[in-house]
Amino acid sequence: MESASDSRLQAGSASLGQGTREPGPLARQERLAYAILLPVLGTIFVVVTYPLLFAVDQSLRATRGGDFVGLRNYTTALENPLLYEALAATGIYAGIVLPAEILGGLGLALLVHRTVRSARIRMAVYVLATLPIVIPPVAVGVIARLIYAPGYGVLNHLLMLAGLVQAEIPWLSRRETAMLAVASVDVWQWTPFVYLVCFAGLQTVPRESIDAAQVDGATRWTLFSRIELPYLRPLLLLVLFWRLADVLRVFDHIFILTGGGPGATTQLLSVYLYRVAFKFFDTGEAAALAVLVMLAMSLLYATATRLLPLERD
Amino acid sequence: MPRRRPAQLWHLVAVPVLGAVGLVYAFPLYWLLVTALKGEGELYRVTPSLYPLEPTLDAFSSVLVTRGFLGLLENSILVCGATVVIALTIGFAVAYPITRLKVSRRLRLGVLNWALSLRFLPPVAVVVPYFAIVRGLGLYDHPLALILIYTVFNLPFAIWMLKGFLAEIPSEIEEAAFVDGASRWMAFCRVLLPLAAPGILASGVIIFAFAWSEFLFALILTASPRAQTFPVGVQGLVTQFQIIWNDMAAAGALAIAVPLGLMVLARRYVLAGLTFGVIRGQ
Repeated sequence: MESASDSRLQAGSASLGQGTREPGPLARQERLAYAILLPVLGTIFVVVTYPLLFAVDQSLRATRGGDFVGLRNYTTALENPLLYEALAATGIYAGIVLPAEILGGLGLALLVHRTVRSARIRMAVYVLATLPIVIPPVAVGVIARLIYAPGYGVLNHLLMLAGLVQAEIPWLSRRETAMLAVASVDVWQWTPFVYLVCFAGLQTVPRESIDAAQVDGATRWTLFSRIELPYLRPLLLLVLFWRLADVLRVFDHIFILTGGGPGATTQLLSVYLYRVAFKFFDTGEAAALAVLVMLAMSLLYATATRLLPLERD
Repeated sequence: MPRRRPAQLWHLVAVPVLGAVGLVYAFPLYWLLVTALKGEGELYRVTPSLYPLEPTLDAFSSVLVTRGFLGLLENSILVCGATVVIALTIGFAVAYPITRLKVSRRLRLGVLNWALSLRFLPPVAVVVPYFAIVRGLGLYDHPLALILIYTVFNLPFAIWMLKGFLAEIPSEIEEAAFVDGASRWMAFCRVLLPLAAPGILASGVIIFAFAWSEFLFALILTASPRAQTFPVGVQGLVTQFQIIWNDMAAAGALAIAVPLGLMVLARRYVLAGLTFGVIRGQ
């Protein structure tokens, strides 16, 4: 019995190593895999794809009456100047948030990696950095409201206490400060995520490469730029795409904090789309926009999978 | 010797920088809690006090009982709990074949990449057709609509995390069970599930937290306390004409407390899971 199971184990690990050598059991297992996967994935595929087709259908029909109107909804959507304001706002937002989060997260990861030696403190920082990820963006919006709001906002109070300003700054009703306020919420919530990825990435840099470089007299900077950065590059690219996808869907905290205002200053693409669909109830134009956004996202995804080394597992 | 200087510089910078970062994270949370603990009288002082002069739980009871947020809490727990169970079940049905059965590399990577592509579905775009479909099905203002959608949007995480955890369990353990005469299903239930339990717990906590945080779908697909979730209630306190600051803060604090509490309770397991297998794959 004992030896029989041993030989089976060996046979098992041997076939694992050789891969496709044994067609019999492999085919059987692959059949079982398909038998489990096909109904599940098929259902998900239908649940995901049907709404997309539904949106395409909506986008080709008039909002009132539902008559087929061809591409008219698309031309209306693309001729609306508010769309370009929303795109510009999204661009500005991304331009503030992505560099701030990536540089901040990378900088902090390097700082902790270089200076903190105690495993317990490293672990504690790691645990703390995971927490902002699970805080509901709505709640972060509430906190931001408590900080920036006119009258009750604590930031003005603190600034006046420190003698830095004389009068209240209307953070949320000025164009520039409103965008900064909204962006600051994003940076607050998501820099720790970038930190986590970078910090974990730094742990994977082989000790030998660093030792060898140090023996050769590498400075801290060359150590970073020649050894650590190349190791981190795929991770940073992944984070960049991940965060870019998030920026295109960001909604909650803006809705809570400014509602898109003042004017349309902080009306990012998703907030704009929400207003077209659920404030103006222009279903046709909203569906056209939705289809365009989905196309843009597919493009982003296609680029991401091209550039990213996701093929390993 | 001159090479030592930059190292000291890093140390010199580290303490103030990490201290400042700590403050930037601690103060907003502190301020939320302080505001939630203030009584009504303290809200209208000309200069807000930096700590509650007479701490009280009035705001919490006002939100939960008077405003009826207990009902929303129940809705949220129901929706999130159901999402966790369904997403993990489907997640297993996808992750098991691609990790425990000998399948071609193409199939495995195809499934994983397809799951990842779901993550790129923009919610604000799909909510437009969903709204019409959900109304057509008679599921508008019903928790079932949210459960269904949250399941779809959390599947990528479920699949990727379970795949990471399952891949770490050596296949020899399962094979030993087969030798002892166990069927594949028995080996799955008796051997694999117990071994994967920490991973299941971690995935469950994270999916629960994400579902708990979701706001856009809940805002659009629900209309009454029958199906509204907690974040929708919180939002209702913010956009009113006059904001009752302590109530709003109390609701916000509760919205944070639930996922944070879960994370802290399950931190040992969650830590391994939060990297989504991305870093492990490196």
